[in-house]
Amino acid sequence: MLATAHPVRHTLKRKRPSIWLLLPVLLLVGLSLLPLLYVATKAWQAGWAQALSLLWRPYVFGLMRNTLLLMVGVTVTCAVVGLSLAWLLERSNLPGRRLWGVILCLPFAVPAFVSSFTWVSLSASFEGLGGAILVMSLSKYPLIFLPVAATLRNLDPALEESARTLGQNRWGVFFKITLPLLWPSLLAGSLLIALHMLVEFGALSIIGLQTFTTAIYQQFELEFSNANAAMLSAVLLVMCLSLLWLELKVRGKGRHIRIGQGAARRAEQVRLGKWSLVGQVYCLLLAVIGSGIPLGMLAYWLIKGSSAAFPMAAIGEALFSSLALSLGGAALCLVLAVPVGLLVVRYKGQLAIWAERLPYLLHALPGLVIALALVYFSLHYVPVLYQTSALLLVAYALLFLPLAQAPIRTALNKAAPQLEEAARTLGASSFSAFCRVTLPIIFPALGAAFALVFLDAMKELTATLLLSPTGLNTLATQVWAHTSNVEFAAAAPYAALLTVVSGLPVYLLTTRMYLSR
Amino acid sequence: MMLRNTRLATSLLRGLTLSILGLALTSPAYAADPVTLTLYNGQHKEVGDNLAAAFEAKTGIHVNVRKGSSNQLASQIMEEGDRSPADVFYAEESPPLNNLGEQGFLAKADDSTLQALPKEYVAANGTWIGVTARTRVVAFNPKLIKEEDLPKSVLDFANPEWQGKVGFVPTSGAFQEQAVAIIKLHGRDAAEEWLTGLRAFGKTYTNNMVALKAVENGEVATVLVNNYYWFALEKEKGKLDSKLHYFTDGDAGGLITVSSAGVIKASKHPKEAQQLLAYMASEEGQRVITNTTAEYPMRKGMVSDRGLKPFEELQAPKITPADLGNAEEALDLERETGLL
Repeated sequence: MLATAHPVRHTLKRKRPSIWLLLPVLLLVGLSLLPLLYVATKAWQAGWAQALSLLWRPYVFGLMRNTLLLMVGVTVTCAVVGLSLAWLLERSNLPGRRLWGVILCLPFAVPAFVSSFTWVSLSASFEGLGGAILVMSLSKYPLIFLPVAATLRNLDPALEESARTLGQNRWGVFFKITLPLLWPSLLAGSLLIALHMLVEFGALSIIGLQTFTTAIYQQFELEFSNANAAMLSAVLLVMCLSLLWLELKVRGKGRHIRIGQGAARRAEQVRLGKWSLVGQVYCLLLAVIGSGIPLGMLAYWLIKGSSAAFPMAAIGEALFSSLALSLGGAALCLVLAVPVGLLVVRYKGQLAIWAERLPYLLHALPGLVIALALVYFSLHYVPVLYQTSALLLVAYALLFLPLAQAPIRTALNKAAPQLEEAARTLGASSFSAFCRVTLPIIFPALGAAFALVFLDAMKELTATLLLSPTGLNTLATQVWAHTSNVEFAAAAPYAALLTVVSGLPVYLLTTRMYLSR
Repeated sequence: MMLRNTRLATSLLRGLTLSILGLALTSPAYAADPVTLTLYNGQHKEVGDNLAAAFEAKTGIHVNVRKGSSNQLASQIMEEGDRSPADVFYAEESPPLNNLGEQGFLAKADDSTLQALPKEYVAANGTWIGVTARTRVVAFNPKLIKEEDLPKSVLDFANPEWQGKVGFVPTSGAFQEQAVAIIKLHGRDAAEEWLTGLRAFGKTYTNNMVALKAVENGEVATVLVNNYYWFALEKEKGKLDSKLHYFTDGDAGGLITVSSAGVIKASKHPKEAQQLLAYMASEEGQRVITNTTAEYPMRKGMVSDRGLKPFEELQAPKITPADLGNAEEALDLERETGLL
C-alpha cells in the first residue's frame, strides 16, 4: 500500500545483504526444513513396503474417519454459529448486542485443553466424537464470528439497498449480495479452524478421541521415535499442506471491486420484534455452554481443590518455568523475525521469499511433529542441546514465528531505509544506524509481536512435553499430567493460572482488535 | 524523546540477547551440585517423585525425575545409547527392562541388591530387579453385574455376550503382558482371537485410572486392570461402589507382573546409581514405594500392610517375568488386530 509512495526505493536496489543479516535467516530456513527432513528420513529408512503396510490398515482408516468427521463437524458448526451470531449482533436491533459481543468472545480466554477438561469432568458422556465436536466448536467459533462481524460492519450498505430496490426480498439480498461478500472472511476462518482440528492434541486426548495427532503421540509413548509415528506424521503433513494450498487458492480469488468511494455509514438494522426473545435465548445459551460451563467448572474444582491446600511450591515453580520459557521463546522469535523482515523489505530475492513463507507452513504443522524432529536431530547431531531449554526455545520459535512476522513486516515497510542511510553518512556504523534509527520506529510493533508470541507459548503443550529438560514442569504440562490421571481438583489451580496469565490477555487483545469501532 | 527511545531500544535488544543466552546456558539448573542422578520414571509419577525425595533425604544425592511411559523411555534409552543422560530406569512393567538388558544397555546390579529379592523376580543376567508385584484383576460394578456372573476365564470376555460390558486399555504395558501370558498359555491363535474379540465387543480406554473410574461411575460393567488402581481410587474417594474380582486356578486373568528397575550402562555416576537401586530394594525404599502405590513389596520377608489379598493366596498362572520377555509379540499382535 505504502510501497507506491516510495518510488525512490527501486533505485536503491544496492549491495548484497550483510552476513550478519543472512546468518539468522539461513539458520531459520535450515531449522524450518528439519520436520520435513525428519519425516522423509524415517520414511526412507522404513522403505516403501513397510511404509505401505503401516499405512494401509484398518487402524489408520479409523483415524482418518475420526479426523475428517471432527474437522468437518467442527468447521460447519462454527460457520453456522459464527455467521448467525455476527448477523444478529451487527445487523439486528437485539438489545444488549455490544455486551453480548464481549461475553460471547470469552471462549478465547480459555485454552481448548482446559475447557475440554472441564467438560469431561462434568460427565463422561462428553467423551468421544460427539463431545469433541461440541467442545471444540464452542471454543473455536469466535474465529469465524469476529472476522465475519468485522466484515459485516464495514460493508457498504448501498449494495444491499440497491438489491432491495431492484426487487429482492431480505433472504434474496442475504444470499445474493451479503453472503458472497462475506465469503472470503468466512472461508479464511473455516480453514483456520479446520487446520486447528488437524493439529489439536491436548483437548482431543483429554476427550479421548483418536485422531492422527493423538495417535502419533500414542506411537511416541509406545516406541519413542519410530517409523509408525513418522508415517502417521507424513499423512498428517499431507492433510495440513492440502488445507494450506486450498487457503492460498481461495485467498487469491473472491475479490470484490467497487467503483467510487460511497459514503461511510451504518447499514439499516433489522427489527426483530417478537424474534428478539429468540435472539436473547440463543445468545444466553451460547454464553452458558460456551464460557459459563468451562469457567464455572474451573471455579468448582478450584474451590474443591483448595480444601486440600494448594501445593504452592510446585505451582510457583510451574508458573516461573512457563513465564521464563515463553519470554525466551518470544525473544528468540523477535531475533529471527527482524532479520527476515529486513531481508524481505529491503533486499527481496528468492531466499527472502522462502524465509518468509516457511514459518507460515510450519505454523500449520502439529507441534508434535516439530518436537519429534528436534528430538531426533539434537540427539544424533547436536547432543549438547538434547533435553535443554534452549532446544525448547527453538521449538517455540518454529511454532510461533508467524505471529511475530506479520506486525514486524508491516512496521519495517514504514521505516524508510533512507533514514538509516542518512545516519550512515553522518558516521554511524550500520548496526548502530539500525539501532538508533529503525529500531525506535518499529519498537511498538516489536512489543506487539513479543506479546503475541509470549501469550501463545504459555499455552503450548506437546513440544513442551517432549522437549523440556528433565524435572521441568510448566502450567500446561501440569494441567495435562493431572487431567490424564483424572485428578481434576489437582489440575484446577494450574488451569486457572493459565487462563488468567495467558487466556485473558489474548481475549482482551483479540476483542479489542476486532470490536473497536 | 527520540534519543531516550533509541537507548531504550538498544538496551532492550541487548537484554533480549542476554536473556536468551542465559536461558540457554543455565538449563541444566543443578550443574553446580557434586552428583545429581537422573531417574527415567515409567512407574506412576507420585511413586518416582516420593522415591526420589526419600532417597535425597537419606543420602543427600539429588534425583531429577523424567516422567514418561515405560515403553517410550526404554526406546528412548536405546536411541540415546552412550549419550543417555539417564542413570537409573524404573518401569511399570518388566518387559522394557528385559529388552534393554538383553541388548546390553544395562549394567549388572550389585550382588547384595540381587540377593535381597526372590530369584524368579530378578533378571537371569542380573541386569535388573523386580521392585514390586501386583496382580491382574477384573474390577466390576455390582450395580451392573453380580460377581457370580463374571466368567471363569479372562478369555471369555472376548465373546459377543460381553458387547459393551468390558473395558480394557490396549496401550497399557500390563495389558500387553497379559496378552503375552495368553500366547504362552494358550498359543498365538487363541491370543489373536481374544484381542479380536475384545476389539469388536469391548470398550477401549486411554489409561487404567480412566477405565476404573468408568466402572466406579457405572459407565461400563467391568474393566481389566491391575489391583492397585482400585486401592488408589479408594484412598482418594473413600468407600467405593466397584469391587475387585480375582481369577483363580492359574487363569491368565490373574497374572502376576512386576515393576522393575536397572542401572543404565552409560551412567556417569555408576556408584550412586547402584546406591539408588539398592535403596529401592531395601526395607525403607520398599515401604516408601508400597505406601504410595498399593503393590506387594518384593524384598524377601516383607509383606504388604495395605490390606491387600495376601500374596500367597493369589492363584496366578505359572508365568514369570522371564517368560514375558520383551512383550514384542503382544505389540505386533495388537497392531495386526487393529488395536494400535
